Amino acid sequence: MKAKDVVLIGILSASITAGKLALSFIPNVEIVTLLFIVYTVVFGYRRTLLVSIVFTTTEIFIYGFATWLLGYYIIWPTLILLTEIMNKRFKSEYAYAILGGIFGYIFGLFFAVIESFFYGIAYGWAYWIRGLLFDLLHGTSNFIIVLLLFKPVKNLLEKLKKSYYAV
Amino acid sequence: MNKKIIAILVVLAIAIVGYVGYKNLIVPAGTEGEKEVTIQVINEKENVDKTFTYNTDHKYLIELLEEKQDELGVSFQEYDFGKMVIGMLNYVADDSNNEYFHIYVNGEDATTGPGEIPLNNEDVYTFELKTY
Repeated sequence: MKAKDVVLIGILSASITAGKLALSFIPNVEIVTLLFIVYTVVFGYRRTLLVSIVFTTTEIFIYGFATWLLGYYIIWPTLILLTEIMNKRFKSEYAYAILGGIFGYIFGLFFAVIESFFYGIAYGWAYWIRGLLFDLLHGTSNFIIVLLLFKPVKNLLEKLKKSYYAV
Repeated sequence: MNKKIIAILVVLAIAIVGYVGYKNLIVPAGTEGEKEVTIQVINEKENVDKTFTYNTDHKYLIELLEEKQDELGVSFQEYDFGKMVIGMLNYVADDSNNEYFHIYVNGEDATTGPGEIPLNNEDVYTFELKTY
């Protein structure tokens, strides 16, 4: 790995953490999903997987260790790999908006399964049911955010990538 | 009309249907009218096991807890998803020791918080101090 890649991964990780914190006052409305999708399309899945590991580890430093952070080590790489698979077939922002939407809708279910390993099925079930409205908000906002911002952010990052690696 | 606007409107419509469905189908409906319910508080750490019986017209457990807050010594904490009971009989669960009040309805684990637990005649609502 080149030094430029290491620097790039650091910058991309920091931008995702900053993006998450900037919107943290609105429950379940976030740009982390959008950024992981766009980063995968522009910079490739290998670099973005490393970004996801740095991002999740940074979360531990910010929030302390919790069981939901274990899920982060799985769910973001899954999104990145799904994006990579889609990137070979789809170029339209609609496809990525649907991916982001479904990702948001099942986000709580995924963590409910993880939590149920630690605290039992009853807890996991309660966790999921209680969070359904947040999942609804998460999936809907993801769809809208990715649909509206995927193209402009992707175009901007492609220009920046060319100039970054041209030097 | 712009295709994106149509797509957004469709997704918003789906979200509204989902919201209405959640409120009507998933959250159990409370019933009005007088009911006799029992609230039990178990705190082995403080050697407490007390029961309280109330006649109430409230529909949901949270409403009864709010009405009897002083008598039951209830402490609440507000979260994005609603109110959580963190204390009963003036004992507040010590988060640093992983304590919390587990809620049972007729001996079964509650699957929702007190804001969504309907009050039914002769039901027993147990708050037990546990650790996770």
